[in-house]
Amino acid sequence: MSLLELEDVHTYYGESHILQGMNLTVEEGEVVALIGRNGVGKTTTLRSILQLTAPRSGSVRFRGEDLTGNPTHEVADRGIGWVPEDRRMFGYLTVEENLRVAIDPDQEVEPLRDEMFDLFPDLARFREKEARNLSGGQQQMLAIARGIVGDNELLLVDEPSEGLAPLIVEQVVEALREVSTETTMVLVEQNFPLAMDLADRFYLIDHGTVVESGPTEGVTADDERIQRYLAA
Amino acid sequence: MIDPLTHATVDAPMLADTLSRFFQPDTLARILIEGLGKAAIYFIIAIGLTLVFGLMGILNFAHGAFAMVGAYIGGVIMVVALSSASGAFTRIALFIVVVAVVFALLTAAGSALEIKLVRPIYDRTPMYQILLTFGVGLILEELARIIVSSRGIQPEPTWSAAQATIPGFLSGPSDVLNSLFGVNIRGFYLFAIVSGAILAVAVYLFLTRTLYGLYIRAGSEDPEMVEALGIDVRKAFTIVFGLGTGLAAVGGVFLMWDPTWGPSVMLNLDVLLYAFVVVVIGGLGSFKGTLVAAVIVGVADSFTTWLFNTGIVAFSGLPEVTIFLLLVIALIIRPQGLYGVEEVGGH
Repeated sequence: MSLLELEDVHTYYGESHILQGMNLTVEEGEVVALIGRNGVGKTTTLRSILQLTAPRSGSVRFRGEDLTGNPTHEVADRGIGWVPEDRRMFGYLTVEENLRVAIDPDQEVEPLRDEMFDLFPDLARFREKEARNLSGGQQQMLAIARGIVGDNELLLVDEPSEGLAPLIVEQVVEALREVSTETTMVLVEQNFPLAMDLADRFYLIDHGTVVESGPTEGVTADDERIQRYLAA
Repeated sequence: MIDPLTHATVDAPMLADTLSRFFQPDTLARILIEGLGKAAIYFIIAIGLTLVFGLMGILNFAHGAFAMVGAYIGGVIMVVALSSASGAFTRIALFIVVVAVVFALLTAAGSALEIKLVRPIYDRTPMYQILLTFGVGLILEELARIIVSSRGIQPEPTWSAAQATIPGFLSGPSDVLNSLFGVNIRGFYLFAIVSGAILAVAVYLFLTRTLYGLYIRAGSEDPEMVEALGIDVRKAFTIVFGLGTGLAAVGGVFLMWDPTWGPSVMLNLDVLLYAFVVVVIGGLGSFKGTLVAAVIVGVADSFTTWLFNTGIVAFSGLPEVTIFLLLVIALIIRPQGLYGVEEVGGH
């Protein structure tokens, strides 16, 4: 049984048919990249998994349990974390408070929080700082920490390198690589070399459906299949 | 000299006399303390409105009606339970019990209202929410009018029997203020300041020291993100709508004793307008902004009421005009409010 399975998922925004029969699987422990041009349905796939934009048909299964139609907070409670495209920090909350929101009330806060501070030492330094006052890279670290705190089993990461300076991107990539040793990950990333570097497998998406998939090893931007779908 | 509002002739020597009295310390102290007393009540009412908007994005047009209901329920309990022989301690003790009872009742009613009526229209345009809450306000106002009329009570201007339940030391000049500042100010305003401060601290501690307060502050910024972190935002919505309703009703209980308000069906719209002005000047969704704006509106209200009472301006609507003028100025200079941000933000 796969950790995550999407089967013939159709998702709409109003009358716009975005996901047109999405099928994909994610095995425990792997990093899967979703690649494709802008607007092909990558972010919508993540939103459909979380039921933030609920599919009209098809199924999303996590550890064999159908998530379709469940409220988002229940889906997240099953152990699915989300690092959204524009980070979406709670800007007026401190770093500590941002993490506290993500920790289940039944869990002990300090050990989980300290674990994140060990992983991201910058966050420990700025723990009392409001998130809006952090740099872009620090905010991205916080978004990742918020996504994995509380032992989430699956992390959905959307465009983690977007808007960051190359040096900061390197730090974010290293952080994600470290997180991926313990957490299964679905990664949406426009930066093709970065996605291939981090992921074990990829799904190439076009018009809301998978057009190519396979291991990332040996796949380059020059690949004819990739060129056909990624070229603007 | 001609008064521009009333076109009546203003007596120049009287104007000079009034101005000289205004700058006397006891007059300034009186305007300030009465203003802070009014501010305390406006804050109690407006904080619920701003919390509901901050978290849920809902402009609750029934908010004034909840204050009206609080004033009437408070009045009924006080009038029924007290006799003319009841002492000051009994009156104050009962008032505190009434505040607790009204808060509990209206918080429960507000929560039920959110679940049954507001929740089904979250996905609709804001116009649905405005029409729904405005309709609820009108229904409550008309129900209050029918009920109090059937009991032989005038629905407007005010129910004087309820106002008369205030103990003598609060309705008259305060000995404490007299000894401290040498001014004759109604003790009620000092009582309102102390009570408002306690409630403001309680709300602040709830928002900053409790887990639900943290969820509410986070939800004010991004409710979808909070939901995606495993928190049932709908529960937070219900709690906040209930608390907002309860606080508005508690504000209504205080207005019951306020000499310039009192229980009346007019509270529905009058209180709603004041609360909206405070919330908009302060910045929608901002605790600090609501506090500062309540002080500004309260002191402006007190000052203009004093101007009318001293006869310098014969226009009785001066406080309302001034407050809306403040709103217009605030919207021109800082449309997002004193402590508001471009988007809805909890802070």
